[in-house]
Amino acid sequence: MTEFKQSSHILKVSGITKRYPKADAFSLADVSFDVFRGEKLGIFGPNGAGKTTLISILSGILPETSGEVNYFIDNQSTNFKKILPKIGFVPQDFALYQELTAAQNLRYFGTMHGLKKTELEDKISSLLTILGLDHVGNRKLASFSGGMKRRINLAIGLINDPEILFLDEPTVGVDVQSKVAIMTLLNELNAKGTTMIYTSHHLREAEDFCDRTLLLDNGRIIAEGTLNDLLKQHSAESLEDLLIHLTGKALRD
Amino acid sequence: MERFKASLLKEILLLLHDKVGLLLMYLMPLLLVFIITIVQDSAFRLVNENRLDILIVNNDKGPLGDSLVQSMKNAGSFKIDVKEGVDESQLANLTLEGSKLATLFVPANFTQSLSSNSQRISDAMLSEFGMETVERENSGNEKEVQGGVKLIFDPVLQESFQVTLINNLQTMISGIESKEMIRQLYADMGYDEIPSKILKELNRNRTKIVAKPAMSGESAMIPNSTQHNVPAWSIFAMFFMVISLGSNLVKERLSGSFVRLQTIPGSFLHAMFAKIAVYSFVALTQLMIMFAIGVFVFPLIGLPKLNLPSHIFPFLLISVLSAMAAISYAAMVGTYAKTQEQANGFGAISIIIFAAIGGIWVPSFVMPDYMVMISKLSPLHWCLEGFYSLFLKDGSWNQLMGPVIYLVVFTVLCQFLSLWKLRRQHYI
Repeated sequence: MTEFKQSSHILKVSGITKRYPKADAFSLADVSFDVFRGEKLGIFGPNGAGKTTLISILSGILPETSGEVNYFIDNQSTNFKKILPKIGFVPQDFALYQELTAAQNLRYFGTMHGLKKTELEDKISSLLTILGLDHVGNRKLASFSGGMKRRINLAIGLINDPEILFLDEPTVGVDVQSKVAIMTLLNELNAKGTTMIYTSHHLREAEDFCDRTLLLDNGRIIAEGTLNDLLKQHSAESLEDLLIHLTGKALRD
Repeated sequence: MERFKASLLKEILLLLHDKVGLLLMYLMPLLLVFIITIVQDSAFRLVNENRLDILIVNNDKGPLGDSLVQSMKNAGSFKIDVKEGVDESQLANLTLEGSKLATLFVPANFTQSLSSNSQRISDAMLSEFGMETVERENSGNEKEVQGGVKLIFDPVLQESFQVTLINNLQTMISGIESKEMIRQLYADMGYDEIPSKILKELNRNRTKIVAKPAMSGESAMIPNSTQHNVPAWSIFAMFFMVISLGSNLVKERLSGSFVRLQTIPGSFLHAMFAKIAVYSFVALTQLMIMFAIGVFVFPLIGLPKLNLPSHIFPFLLISVLSAMAAISYAAMVGTYAKTQEQANGFGAISIIIFAAIGGIWVPSFVMPDYMVMISKLSPLHWCLEGFYSLFLKDGSWNQLMGPVIYLVVFTVLCQFLSLWKLRRQHYI
């Protein structure tokens, strides 16, 4: 954590709340934290804790009810519209066109990001190769396995070489091979400087992946820090142990 | 521009993949326009050409029965079969078995009956003029001879056709009666037959009726099944794109593609404009194909040719406005529907209801007054009104104003409601 605090802010969240129309309770309540350039921040919590809502607000998909989200470029607070082209988003759903081929999907989203033709084709070829999909680039996604679709879902999020990448359950429902391919690529990108904000229910995977952890429950931050610090602080042996310790064993909706 | 082109390409690929949607948008209306036009064409011919299929059983022993048969044949409004010596009790079965719409029974004493009536009138007239009446074999016997014709209808024949047939028959019998009366009068005055000059004047003395369709211009288009069905089913086809476009929108929304586009600046509007462009192309090609079939294919299979309107600009305007109304409605359904099933179900049923009340299946002019009022709620009705004005009435701007205003308001309202919903969902 110290290492990242010395680096520059990329994101500063100050007291954001979110209440959906007609909802009785707040989905997020007075949430504040910082994200530093180049770090991998994991957001964890039980179902309904507010993880997806938080990621949706940070990536500009949902507006916050109150509070502020500030983005920084070169340590200067900047307009969200300026940071938007530098954002990559990998949603939990397969946000892609099953009727199109893998290459067509990448080409479409890449063009929408404003990539020029040669640069885009190079990027498509490189991503398909890295994710082990170069031999099926011209096949329709409808014929892909869940793991292959999950890799394309990630590739689309990476097509614009984002500086900050939001990952909502990027490895849910995939086989171990796909999971390894995805996590390896994410670590490589992070090593090159991409900041990552990540949610997952794969806590074992998250323990290895994240530099820093944010635990949410009922829309509030209940713990924040490096995993080692948190485990020591709460005398827990693992992230799973820590979550049970802090949020209880009661089943959630 | 590259973004728009990419969105266009994506929409075209998605559309080409949607085989069911394409069949519903292109093949279904083609089949419907062929089937319905062929079926309705015979009904339109019945109305416009009055070729009612009629059997005449002529049992008359005198010449006037033959005169009546000849008059019916000469009228050209009926397809006539003649039989003789058939018993009156067999008429109903004969009508149904022979697939005739009506059977006219001319009794054996038809001539006798008409002659008897004529003699009485002739006697009365001669007496009135102070002339000597003729002594006849049955003088003093005033009993009227009953020799009226009978008309047996197939129960399926509409009342309007029955009335038409009765009126036609009445006119012909009146003509025969008048002629017989004059012949009798001349015979009683000592002439062998009606002088040719009088006969000629009698035949010439008909008041002419000129009938033609009401049109503002010089066009001479005659309403027929093609002029109704081709525009009607083209409109239906355009609005049926709700199945393809509506479910396309729902699918993108539910899959998260829209959410992803939200994180790409400006891309969402490009995607929406591309959808509108592609589906506008679909709607206009639907119109072109349907109209081309009406013009070039229908005459080859014996159906009336579609006469295109002479005013091209208003024709294009109504076509584009109809397409925009259809696209906007489909987009609204796709924006509000929560699932693809909901979009497909609601979309299809709503279009079928709009079509039914809007006069697509049955022209609204045959509907009762309250249904005519209800039909004005249907956007399909206003599209059809626009095309009717152009195809049947050689539409002037005054006639087109109503449809144009309604379609513009409907399109703007649907677009506004869609944008409002998308805004509420934070897509724009």
